[in-house]
Amino acid sequence: MISKRLKQSLRSELRTSLMAKIGLVLILLILIVAMFAPFLAPHHPTETRVSDDPEVDKTDLPPIGMGYETSETRLVDGEMQTVETTIEPDHSFILGTNTLGQDILSRLMYGARVSVLVGVLGALLATAIGVPYGLTAGYFGDRIDDSLMRGADMMLAFPSLVLAIALVGVFRDTDFHTQQIPDPFVLAARHDTLGSFVPRGEHVAAMPASITFPVTVTLVVALVNWVWFARVARGEAMAIRQEEYVKAAKSVGASNATIIRQHVLPNSLTPVIVLATIQVAAIILLESALSYLGFSETTLTWGYDIQQGQSAAATYWWIAFMPGMAIVIAVISINLLGDWLRDALDPSIEGEGGV
Amino acid sequence: MGLGKFLIKRTIQGVIVIWGVVTITFFLRFLTPGDPVSALTPPDAGPEVRERMAENLGLNDPIHIQYADYITDLLMLDLGTSMRTGRSASIMILARLPATLELALAATIISMIIAIPLGVISARRRHQKSDYAATMFSLLGISTPNFWLGIMLIILVAVVVGPIPTGGRDVSFWEATVMLFLEANPRGFGNWAIHIFLPAITLGTYFTALLTRLTRSGMLEELGKTYVEATRAKGLPETLVLYKHVLRNTLIPIITVLGLQLGTLIGGAVITEEVFSWPGIGSFLIQQIAYRDWVLIQGILIVIGVGFVVINIIVDAMYAKLNPKVVTE
Amino acid sequence: MSNVTDILRIDGLKTRFFTDNGQVNAVEDLDVRIEDGEVFGIVGESGSGKSVMALSIIDLIERPGRITDGEIWFRAPDIADELVETDAVDGDYVDLRAMSPEQRGLLRGSRFSMIFQDPMSSFNPSITVGEQIAEAVEAQRRARSNPRSLDAKSQHYGLTDYLLGGVLSSKRYVSEPSLDRAIELLELVGIPDPAERAEEYPHEYSGGMLQRAMIAQALAGEPDVLIADEPTTALDVTIQAQVLDLLAELQTETGMTILLITHNLGVVARMCDRVGVMYAGEIVERGTLGDVFDNPVHPYTQGLLGSIPDLQGVAERLQPIEGNVPSLLDHEMPDRCYFADRCPKAMEECLEHPPELAVNDRGQHATRCYLAETEYTAAKALPTDYFGATEAPAEADTAPEEPTATDGGDHQ
Repeated sequence: MISKRLKQSLRSELRTSLMAKIGLVLILLILIVAMFAPFLAPHHPTETRVSDDPEVDKTDLPPIGMGYETSETRLVDGEMQTVETTIEPDHSFILGTNTLGQDILSRLMYGARVSVLVGVLGALLATAIGVPYGLTAGYFGDRIDDSLMRGADMMLAFPSLVLAIALVGVFRDTDFHTQQIPDPFVLAARHDTLGSFVPRGEHVAAMPASITFPVTVTLVVALVNWVWFARVARGEAMAIRQEEYVKAAKSVGASNATIIRQHVLPNSLTPVIVLATIQVAAIILLESALSYLGFSETTLTWGYDIQQGQSAAATYWWIAFMPGMAIVIAVISINLLGDWLRDALDPSIEGEGGV
Repeated sequence: MGLGKFLIKRTIQGVIVIWGVVTITFFLRFLTPGDPVSALTPPDAGPEVRERMAENLGLNDPIHIQYADYITDLLMLDLGTSMRTGRSASIMILARLPATLELALAATIISMIIAIPLGVISARRRHQKSDYAATMFSLLGISTPNFWLGIMLIILVAVVVGPIPTGGRDVSFWEATVMLFLEANPRGFGNWAIHIFLPAITLGTYFTALLTRLTRSGMLEELGKTYVEATRAKGLPETLVLYKHVLRNTLIPIITVLGLQLGTLIGGAVITEEVFSWPGIGSFLIQQIAYRDWVLIQGILIVIGVGFVVINIIVDAMYAKLNPKVVTE
Repeated sequence: MSNVTDILRIDGLKTRFFTDNGQVNAVEDLDVRIEDGEVFGIVGESGSGKSVMALSIIDLIERPGRITDGEIWFRAPDIADELVETDAVDGDYVDLRAMSPEQRGLLRGSRFSMIFQDPMSSFNPSITVGEQIAEAVEAQRRARSNPRSLDAKSQHYGLTDYLLGGVLSSKRYVSEPSLDRAIELLELVGIPDPAERAEEYPHEYSGGMLQRAMIAQALAGEPDVLIADEPTTALDVTIQAQVLDLLAELQTETGMTILLITHNLGVVARMCDRVGVMYAGEIVERGTLGDVFDNPVHPYTQGLLGSIPDLQGVAERLQPIEGNVPSLLDHEMPDRCYFADRCPKAMEECLEHPPELAVNDRGQHATRCYLAETEYTAAKALPTDYFGATEAPAEADTAPEEPTATDGGDHQ
């Protein structure tokens, strides 16, 4: 499936393209952050710090280096006065805090987990639905192709976000699923009484024991995006079934299922891989839009944080700004990776991109 | 195959897809838990009242009768009755449609005005600074969630320009035009423009970035072809070589891609409308999801689906018109 | 010197391509004189720089290529009058290289025009043939209607004009008379039902018909010099003869100069008055058709002539020239005769790059080969494996394709 020549062209493309390098490094960084969030996050992501006591209250702190002056009118010694105050950033909250006093950086790190999981699993699921569908249509052609692809066209008539909203709306009332995925590092740290096996054991043990994985949202994003895989796989299958080796396999009596599995599928994988990469980015954008609209049952996601920050955005711009930057960086790096793969493998691919 | 015949074939295909769209939305009703009878009757209504309501709504009929009624109603442009307000869904959706069309058109026009020259310049100055800048812009543009971009633009405008409206829509384009021509009052137009500006930019950014990318790579491919050399050799001004010959041939394949990408534009409109409280069918859809008014939700889905299919037929017609091979071969 | 005037004098032309793999010397120190009204043939193998030379004359070399050196003197008394007192003028001649790109652009179509190898890819597929020819007519009409032919501004047709042309027919670039002229031109080149065929798209034409249309387009501006780059290579044999006859006929009628680029010696023998043989970016032998064909001096020319099957004579075997087309990469180009490694008569002298040497006193026949002055002696011959082990295989590996984007010529 991955031939030597392919590896070579991947490598030479990586060598010549600075963008591909940047993309790859960023992706690795995001994966590491998502995976080791309990170690890397400086604070508990959902711990709030709201209080009347200014010493304890940590709400709306600006990012480091972004301290600012503000004036407020309040009662001082029994009369109204305008007081100039300087809001200083707190050095333990690098990217600042939100209106609940939660650490933004820690939330971003945990949010990366949801984005990565939904993005990758959603794309895999869409591949699993779309590729067999498209291969069947393309391989058999004629009537089967016509009816299958007409069905796919019907899916395409709904913009993915619209369809996703409608589906989430349906599922929300019937059986909306989220799954608590236990965090192995945290569990290990909690059972590790000596604190010797897990680095920063105490810190990790205080982190959330599980993360909420939005099962329904993942299903929905796969359901609205599989059509693109079907289209690409169909195109490949149509080209491959004309090849001599497929005709040869047929002539010796191989069944259609065998031919599809042994010849058509392996030979159509390259463009599917490129598409899957780009789709991870598209799905991350879609997921963030759904969480922004409040259609995801999890609250530890980038999109939800943007929505939370929106109302206060005029004064505390960083609350909405930071998670958006996280999305942009993640999506850019995946797109760069996709460009790299496409340039190296060079198939012509179309696909719906963002939200 | 003549252009007419091609269009007839394409329209028949479109009708089949529309039929599918309608059927899918019909069955959506059975997936949803909301009960139209409870929605339309007072909570203390007795079983007879409920039964009569169900009878009136045709819910007691066998499913194929319900389906036939549904299709018949649709053919008469009747999208049903809103479960929450009891008003005609068709009229409610129709009232919201112009706002979305204005927004989508404004975004498309802004995109084309920016993206096509940008793509051309980028391709002409390949590997120069302006090319890298354009490439970076388009990469950023396709990677930015537009609801976030909208929020950031609102902040930015508030800080830099001062208080200008960043939400809602006072007058429609139609009203503004009427004011301009009948009352010679340009203020309505200014009001319309100032309200639509930010949402249109927000919605248009992804499209602009995508179109820049496609134009650039298409131009590069096209510029390598021999006919470009031959066209220059006969002494044609470079503007004509670039725009009449190269760009035109670049845009032909791009048009079909853009047709498919219109889905992204409509999807983007939904969330952009939400950010800017723009009273189009996108924000309407989100509202109705919150209210669980499934009749309206179905209606909006049908309008969007049918609109998408129709636009794609128009796009294909343009493609056929621009590309002589489709029609003559 | 004869009493015929030269229309084109090229001195020391160097055209280079700066590619990722290094500098490619596609045309290297090329000197040639082309007489007014003659058919001059340029012969050579693929990758010898023929097409690049043609594109250099008409100023269509694109990045990463660039003309780095040399002068192209073109006889045009009217332009010389306008540019008088600049470096670009010498009597009736102007140096194209010293003119601004805008000024040179105005020469395209009106003074020089070009026919390409593959008519199918040389027409824009989505515009009718008539319209494309009319564009060529219109470009010249506009240039001519302007009294100062080199003033680029007044014939400017910008983006705004083009966009307006979509709405207002008066703003359209191509005018009605130009379309009529296009139909006349199609008739001139022997296309039946020209008025109807003008409305058709290139893919509705046959190859031969389309090449005729290409010739019609090239004639639109009544050019002084027509560059025909492999005009018949893409056509069927029977059609080839018809197209060549048409070219010859038109040349007699209009008296234009034709620069015919080909790798087909039969075409040269049939069409040309004089001929230049190109190898590795330079002209290695030139002279009248008789000089070069009957009395070739350069072993490369001899080899080329040896490699056409002689149908009249005894069934000789086709003799291909051994070895590969040389690498044109600058760092791989040796400071010797470029042909020495393939030359059956390589001698010690050949380790130094030969200048152009006259073969006889008539001044027409010249060659870049020491054999013009010295006899071949086996005593001074280089050993047969002199270039063998070290250079030949390396060259075979790295010999780059001539950059295809600029070479419509030899690649099939």
